[in-house]
Amino acid sequence: MGVGAGIDPQTHGGKSLMHHEFLDRYSRLDSPVHRLPAALKFVLALIFVFVTVALPLAAREWFIGLFAMLVAIAALSRIPWLFLLKRLLFLEPFVLGVAVLTLFQPNGIRVFATIFVRSTLCLLTMVLLSNTTPFATILQVLRRVRVPALFVTTLALMYRYLFVLVDEAERMHRARASRTFTPKTSGNHAHRIHLWQMLGTVIGQLFVRSTERAERIYAAMLARGWR
Amino acid sequence: MEVHGLQFRYPDGAEALCGVNLTIAEGECVGLIGPNGAGKSTLLLHLNGILPENPGVSSSVSVFGQPITAATLPMIRRDVGLLFQDPDDQLFCPTVFEDVSFGPKQFGLAGEQVATVVRKALEQVGLTGFENRLPHHLSRGEKRRVCLAGVLACQPRVLVLDEPSSDLDPSGKRELKALLKQIPATKIIATHDLELVVELCPRAIVLDRGKIVADGSAIELLNDETLMLAHGLERPHILRHCHPH
Amino acid sequence: MHIPDGFVDAKTAVTSGVLAVTGVGIALWQAKRTLPARRVPMLGLASAFVFAAQMLNFPVAGGTSGHLIGATLVAVLLGPSAAAIALAAVLVVQCFLFNDGGLTALGANIFNMAIVATLVGYGVYRLVRRFAPGQRGLILAAAFAGWCSTVAAAISCAGQLAISGTVPWSVSFPAMAGVHMLIGIGEGLITALVILAITKLRADLLDNTTSSVATPVTAFVGFGLVAALGLALFVSPFACKWPDGLEKIAATLGFEHHALEKPLLPAPISNYALPGINSAVVATALAGVIGTVIVFALSWVLARVLIPKPTAESR
Repeated sequence: MGVGAGIDPQTHGGKSLMHHEFLDRYSRLDSPVHRLPAALKFVLALIFVFVTVALPLAAREWFIGLFAMLVAIAALSRIPWLFLLKRLLFLEPFVLGVAVLTLFQPNGIRVFATIFVRSTLCLLTMVLLSNTTPFATILQVLRRVRVPALFVTTLALMYRYLFVLVDEAERMHRARASRTFTPKTSGNHAHRIHLWQMLGTVIGQLFVRSTERAERIYAAMLARGWR
Repeated sequence: MEVHGLQFRYPDGAEALCGVNLTIAEGECVGLIGPNGAGKSTLLLHLNGILPENPGVSSSVSVFGQPITAATLPMIRRDVGLLFQDPDDQLFCPTVFEDVSFGPKQFGLAGEQVATVVRKALEQVGLTGFENRLPHHLSRGEKRRVCLAGVLACQPRVLVLDEPSSDLDPSGKRELKALLKQIPATKIIATHDLELVVELCPRAIVLDRGKIVADGSAIELLNDETLMLAHGLERPHILRHCHPH
Repeated sequence: MHIPDGFVDAKTAVTSGVLAVTGVGIALWQAKRTLPARRVPMLGLASAFVFAAQMLNFPVAGGTSGHLIGATLVAVLLGPSAAAIALAAVLVVQCFLFNDGGLTALGANIFNMAIVATLVGYGVYRLVRRFAPGQRGLILAAAFAGWCSTVAAAISCAGQLAISGTVPWSVSFPAMAGVHMLIGIGEGLITALVILAITKLRADLLDNTTSSVATPVTAFVGFGLVAALGLALFVSPFACKWPDGLEKIAATLGFEHHALEKPLLPAPISNYALPGINSAVVATALAGVIGTVIVFALSWVLARVLIPKPTAESR
């Protein structure tokens, strides 16, 4: 995610995902924003993001206006400020990682600044969207807009099982790691090769298990009358 | 339900059924027991036509007088509700409501009726108000109950359960037993939990290596120590101390 | 390489969005026609699988780590249509649930990772397999294809950044392509290792792969066209001109013309500059060509290392 140099995505996968609740902790609060229909929020977010991206650099008042609106929405939504801030801080490095590249051109700092502002505003919009709208409702919106059923089903199943698979992957990884004894000191080389092989086996097993689980899910769908 | 000479072999040669014959009357509660690999799950999958994968014209299984064929499958699937061993496999929708309503919707229900059916089913399993909950936030016992609700929502006449009490803690098991006692449908329960069989099932069938080796009163069979040990089971503790019936 | 919002301008966002929708649409249409009902859940699980696999990191050089895209892996295992759908689903969920990758950039991200990466990965894989059957050929093809797909996606990404006026091609190309030539090694290695692990666990899964979502020539051509069109739009304006020509292009396309000033920061191109060559772009391109050859050779070595000498019966 983002240009990898210097940024360790470990934190994205490692700790934060183990506490799955953070994702949906606030999407089911009760607030004027939460109660709005999902389709409306979706469209609004889209408009917001597009406008932010399309605005010319000079339109500073617009940017400020957008920011003010977002802050107002955030306040209405009753999502804790600290949480929002933490999410933003967490996501910023990915923005910065790519934004750094913009510096290497004439007038780079100005480009960098604009990109940074735009990107952050959009991030805030999307964070607000995802924390006021349960993913299941987004799926319903997609269904209503006639997105192909196969794709929506894929999205639904993916959402349902991604935590299951991530848990499985972590368990397998830990199990393997605890069974392997290649002391780190025996040359970085051997240890590293071992890590790679382990990774390959874990992912391979994960795939096989996913296939088998898919078969069982199919049976379960059949059992309840799916055709 | 009647099964005549059911034979089955998996494509890779594993776990076969070698000529299974049994008859189950309406309203009965039967415990299906046996060691691992005996073929219990395979047998259960035949009871609502998931196996064999291509039901031919003639079938070894008939339900309420109807043989299982491609034509009768939809009806059979409605009448026979199957609860799988791993609730994570059966609870595949993004929300509890969507999952419980999956069955009814497949069988043609729509709109307000669906909501009512879902609500009733959730009440039956003691999960009122769980409609908007997310599966990955539920405990294993709760997931299992949602799966049961999803099956009950189809209002089946026969309930087939594969290891319903596995992974449950003692209080979960108690709740499950109470729940099952209340459901009037014909019940076939494949399980390792012999205490469950004693408490719920007057009749037991012992399956080993794809064949039925015993079929009769649950208490008698479970008390027969030789029989139990011969087929990888044992006499349940509850019988060593008292006779509940 | 999930692009956040704000880096891709409106016209690029719309163009890539249209391309993405078309490409995924073709894949969906193809899948609907040929995917048997029993394999439908597999698509969802494959997406979840890609996501989970992406979560696991691998150590690259020094302190950095990279992660898998997974397009080649899924394409080899389930066919390119399935891979496109699965990757697109992953990107959608990542955008909406994890805010990883922007909404306006979703089209670009899907185009890069679900279409270009898939197509290049699968295409290279099949091509190499034609000349290298057998177990060793499998590893060789998988590893090399994985690398190629990553680099291709990176180049496409660089093009989108450049065309948006965010980062000039002379910076984006060396940076994106360069870094991903390294990360791509990881992708190739993991792809090969995973395929190897699967052959050991359940070799049967690999046999019915390409037929699980059969992608006949027409769909493949359709895919190819979408990818080619996108690459033509995003990359080719830069591929054939020197960086100096960028200004000419910008003027013709009616860009906001930044006044040429002395760069505020010197560009860090010293890593890529081969002796005697000044342009970062040319240097990167050359490095790419050399890199391709090297990676192919490395993949070949990998295959030999992982698969012991075939016995007479398995030949």
